[in-house]
Amino acid sequence: MSFSKFEHVKISGISVVVPEDEINIYDEAEYYGGSIKKIDRMRKMVGFWKRRVADKNTTPSDLAYNAAQNLIKEMHIDKKSIDALVFVVQQPDVISPATAYFLHDKLGLSKDCIATDINQGCAGWVFGLHMVSQMIESGAYKKVLLLNGDTPSVNIDKSDRNSAPIFGDGGSATLLEYSEDKIESFYSIETVSSGFEAIVPPFSGARFGLYSIQEDEVFEKISEIRKEKVIMPTGNEVALFGGYLDGISVFDFTIKAVPKNIKDFLEYLNLTSTDIPVLCLHQANKQIVQSVGVEAGFDVEKVPYHAFENYGNSTMCSIPTLLACLDKNIDKEKMLCCGFGNGLVVASSLLNLKDTYISKVENFVKPTYVKTRDEYVDYWRKKIKGE
Amino acid sequence: MKKAEFLSALEDVLQLEDSIDENQNLLDLEEWDSLSKMAVMAYYKKTFSVEINLNDLKNIQTVNDLIKLAGSNIDG
Repeated sequence: MSFSKFEHVKISGISVVVPEDEINIYDEAEYYGGSIKKIDRMRKMVGFWKRRVADKNTTPSDLAYNAAQNLIKEMHIDKKSIDALVFVVQQPDVISPATAYFLHDKLGLSKDCIATDINQGCAGWVFGLHMVSQMIESGAYKKVLLLNGDTPSVNIDKSDRNSAPIFGDGGSATLLEYSEDKIESFYSIETVSSGFEAIVPPFSGARFGLYSIQEDEVFEKISEIRKEKVIMPTGNEVALFGGYLDGISVFDFTIKAVPKNIKDFLEYLNLTSTDIPVLCLHQANKQIVQSVGVEAGFDVEKVPYHAFENYGNSTMCSIPTLLACLDKNIDKEKMLCCGFGNGLVVASSLLNLKDTYISKVENFVKPTYVKTRDEYVDYWRKKIKGE
Repeated sequence: MKKAEFLSALEDVLQLEDSIDENQNLLDLEEWDSLSKMAVMAYYKKTFSVEINLNDLKNIQTVNDLIKLAGSNIDG
């Protein structure tokens, strides 16, 4: 386990956006043989209820852009003072350059502000904080905008009952600043790379040959397997071409590795669960959140999952979303926030959010530059032709 | 834990509508799905500090098989 400590990094503000479109699982009874009882059972056991989904033209960067716009406006941030933009994303707009450059341009940031992406999934908010904290603690950067965005629902067929009811989309923006006054934060990051294949879209990159565009063979292979459905051992029928989620193995890993990480982290911090007012876990689902929380030694009441029930699992945005949903009166001096997921990785943090501005969960307002797929192709056709 | 107490807890963990006995074949239950298996894994860990793995669950047929996995934690 790798522990780290920072003394001069302040998390000044957090904003969150979610798409306006909501899917309620009770409107999807067709997938459960019309049985409301089955849905009730799932709601009770895993917390399936409502989730927010983006339209097909919206990308993770669009959600992050809107969250950044809101934060800049609400906190009156001087854009010229931002000296780094870090975008955590697992579905970039293009494979290269980093989508952070696109966001840097759209947000109108300075040439002195560096921009880069970090590829992380469900642990991405805590992981991003950890990376940015190092940039700030070193003294090299004073004010950093950390953006997160994900649209897992866009890639999942609605009929895929293994994954579709779980995921929601979202974006968040977090402002981190150098603080002369001592303000402590702590991290514990654990890499379990043997689980690389447990949550992965296997046909999404160079390993499958996705970028070998000169080869018609790739396109033929895609059209051949794109519609292929396979039955998982659980009985769920899923698309071969989609994202793979070995739910039961991930659950097995999660309920063992995450509580151990949290317990070891608390021991390192010389704290116990009674010192922590709320355990903010990645909102994977109700069953995972409660099992992890209880196993880590917390009363079940101190481990909220209502962000999952109301917005779905928005991967790296789920902890900021949960923070935005919490009662404003909760003492936020010792916030234990723990993300975990694809990698596999467990990323725990102890954060002082006492003086942090936290927005409410706001509805996504689509940037005017977003194009439909046909408009996008047409735009590039004209551009390449020099028209 | 007594067997009767376990059976009642199991009905709750699996969210069953009807009561079951120790000879119940789990494979006959519509509710014995991946959600239930995960719930059982979490329940065993929390209640008995027993870690069940996926292979254990693959070989399970009846409630009695499940009881055996709890070892001496369930008696009478």
